[in-house]
Amino acid sequence: MRRLLVSACLLASASAAACSSASNAGQSRPVTLVVALASDPGALNPAVTTSGNTHPVTDQLFNGLVGLDEAFNPVPELAERWSIEDDGRTYRFFLRPGVRWHDGTPFTSADVRFTFEAALLRYHSRTRAALEGVIEAIETPDDLTVIFRLTRPYSPLLQRLDVVEASIIPRHQYDGHDLLTGEPTRRPIGTGPFRIVSHTPSDRIVLERNTQYFRPGLPRVDRVVFRILPNAAAAVAALEAGEVDYVSGVPGPAIPRLRASPAVTVVPGTAGPGGALCQDVLIPNLARRPFNDPRVRRAFAHAIDRAFIHERVYYGLGRVATGPISHLMTWAYTADVPQYRHDPAEANRLLDAAGHPRGRDGVRMRLTFTHAATHQRLGQALREGLKLAGIDLALETRDFNAAVEQVFVKKAFDLGVASYCNGVDPDIGVRRAYVSSNIGPYPFSNGAGYRNPRIDALFEEASRQQDRARRRDLYVEIQRILAADVPYFWLVDTEALRAHRSTFTGFRPWTGAFLETVAAVAAETP
Amino acid sequence: MTSRTFAAWVVRRLAVAAAVVAGVAVVTFVLIHLAPGDPIYLLAGDGGSPAYYADMRARYGLDRPLPAQLATYLAAVLTLDFGYSFVHQAPVSRVLLAHAPASLLLGGAALALATAAGLFAGVLPALTRSLAVDRVVRWGASITYASPVFWTGQIFVYVFAVRLGILPAAGITTARETLTGLAAGGDVLRHLLLPALTLSLPFAAIIARVVRAALVEIAREPFVLATSARGFSRARVLLGHAVPNVLPPVVTLVGLHAAQLAAGAALIEALFGWPGVGHLVLQASLHRDYPLVVGAFIGISASVVFFNAAADAVCAWLDPRVRQT
Repeated sequence: MRRLLVSACLLASASAAACSSASNAGQSRPVTLVVALASDPGALNPAVTTSGNTHPVTDQLFNGLVGLDEAFNPVPELAERWSIEDDGRTYRFFLRPGVRWHDGTPFTSADVRFTFEAALLRYHSRTRAALEGVIEAIETPDDLTVIFRLTRPYSPLLQRLDVVEASIIPRHQYDGHDLLTGEPTRRPIGTGPFRIVSHTPSDRIVLERNTQYFRPGLPRVDRVVFRILPNAAAAVAALEAGEVDYVSGVPGPAIPRLRASPAVTVVPGTAGPGGALCQDVLIPNLARRPFNDPRVRRAFAHAIDRAFIHERVYYGLGRVATGPISHLMTWAYTADVPQYRHDPAEANRLLDAAGHPRGRDGVRMRLTFTHAATHQRLGQALREGLKLAGIDLALETRDFNAAVEQVFVKKAFDLGVASYCNGVDPDIGVRRAYVSSNIGPYPFSNGAGYRNPRIDALFEEASRQQDRARRRDLYVEIQRILAADVPYFWLVDTEALRAHRSTFTGFRPWTGAFLETVAAVAAETP
Repeated sequence: MTSRTFAAWVVRRLAVAAAVVAGVAVVTFVLIHLAPGDPIYLLAGDGGSPAYYADMRARYGLDRPLPAQLATYLAAVLTLDFGYSFVHQAPVSRVLLAHAPASLLLGGAALALATAAGLFAGVLPALTRSLAVDRVVRWGASITYASPVFWTGQIFVYVFAVRLGILPAAGITTARETLTGLAAGGDVLRHLLLPALTLSLPFAAIIARVVRAALVEIAREPFVLATSARGFSRARVLLGHAVPNVLPPVVTLVGLHAAQLAAGAALIEALFGWPGVGHLVLQASLHRDYPLVVGAFIGISASVVFFNAAADAVCAWLDPRVRQT
């Protein structure tokens, strides 16, 4: 009891004690940027995972061979230039001279080859799936040249070589270690704009400026602290209180308040370390009745009130989707495809014609909507809207991991939902949802189970074609066929808002290296 | 109690404790593995091929039948090896120990606050003999107990951190600068105040109600009447004679809640970004970090058993009648 009382007394004096500690403002101090992170990433090896918890941190520590500009065009990064030879079967990269790892070791072509052979093509799920049949050999004729020999022309290769999809890790640190569990995963050494200082589990990860960074003048802040804040509302409160400077994924109810605050700047985000150009899509199970019938799918598309869902469920963020490619993928996107306006009468007519009459209780069919807890509002909106077409939708809410397993792995569902990110090229994120070679059982594959040999052939041709105008024609044809077939119900091209203190500027929300150019506009945040 | 009977008591308690912890280990292991969701997709990411996921499952030993995995795990636990965390890529015991101090600090502070506030509020009606005060305590305790801590915490953050700006909203120390010495200690205490207060409220409410009710009972006891008749002041009768008799049930309550507060304040730790075991377990469950979840539950059940035994021991020390049974 005595000890408890002492603790209580300590607590009572806590406020006063700390007030004095926070009063050394006014001196010139290093600029520290505090970023809220939803979950502790644990191990920090970006070449073996696509995890959205790992990459926001590691993409500041590492580089890719190429970077991406705002329109997702490749720009020089660790490679200062490249040439495409042999009709697109050979890519020759000329590495930037003078680049050093954070420990001072020179970066060479051997690091690139090691990264691909030992890490990316073995453990990075997306890069391995896409490139293991494409890359035939990697040659390193000298320290500053890397040659990728391909089994066939593959036009999206450069877009797959940025820091998110292919971070280059140091051979001298990892060689001889287990890449998944070895000690280097806790003490990462990169070439990136920041270097790691410390990692306190569940609390924070501290980075400092890499003074030897190969881009002169960058980065512009001295320290970055990733603070682990699992609760989104708490992260927003910390932002408003000035304890945190950057929050990604602002929850909908907080948007009006943050937009009204001059201390906070709200920016749209459509790409970055967690995925690029995402679409929320309803997934019908095409292997089952009633969605195996395209007439039912078209009727269903008419029954969904996308505008209402966009306004009420997505808080007006992003845009109502028109088809399988996000409108932000400007060079490949077309709106000139069959559209399904919200029309319950038309939905009822089509369902009658497809042989699904209403029963005595007015219900034509009972379906289950399997979804993660994050999509509960969507489920409620759908359920109410579909009643007008005589569809009774039962809501099956699970945690994210369990919902993904139920839909993609077990395929025990009528209607599911997923965020399919298009990525920075349609071949990266669009193709996987539609080609028959990618029908699960694993997450974010062709969840609907759609099979169309013409679509398979068009995607394959588009990936080989080097000429972008020709590629666009192929993707336009793909969009028209898919919009007519409705293998999925495309709801919204989503936009996750990010918010930062107005005392900072220069965030780059389209790339994994989103902090490289950040700078303080005032001397220090309050 | 003779030393022999005491030894027998300790052996019995230890045997029961071991059985409880072993039961918790088996049940948690089976439940978390049977829960839908595959940790490999969270660990390795999306868009992989079936061969890739099969490779990864084999790497983490998740391709073996559940009974075989359980047998391997239990054999390892006997040698105090609690496995390797998938997410943290470190031994489970090391991860848990790294998070334990923050939880003990928060739990201890909340317990101290709750005990002090609960005792004070519980004694107040008897001390003042005011019906109004009694009503305020009873209703206040009921409302406080019924308020979800997750909600109370958000209100506190909004008022004290966002609107008034006098206390930090989250974390265990300030992120913007590195403090040392006394300043660092003060910084931790300042960050501790809101989560500890939030966590303590429902428990303070229970203590207040128990103490108030017990004092009402004790007020009718002959020894209270006798001390009053000797002319002692009301405060002396109450604090010197009545309150010590209320302490055993309070200590039992504290013992029951201590483990829960030290290890299970998951919602509060998540809300305040407090780097403790509760926060860790919540994240580990969401990521299906099986070894970490099972290891944490073994640790939590062991601490529940320990705190219960400690409460029994303290009760025995406070109340001679307990010692004789």
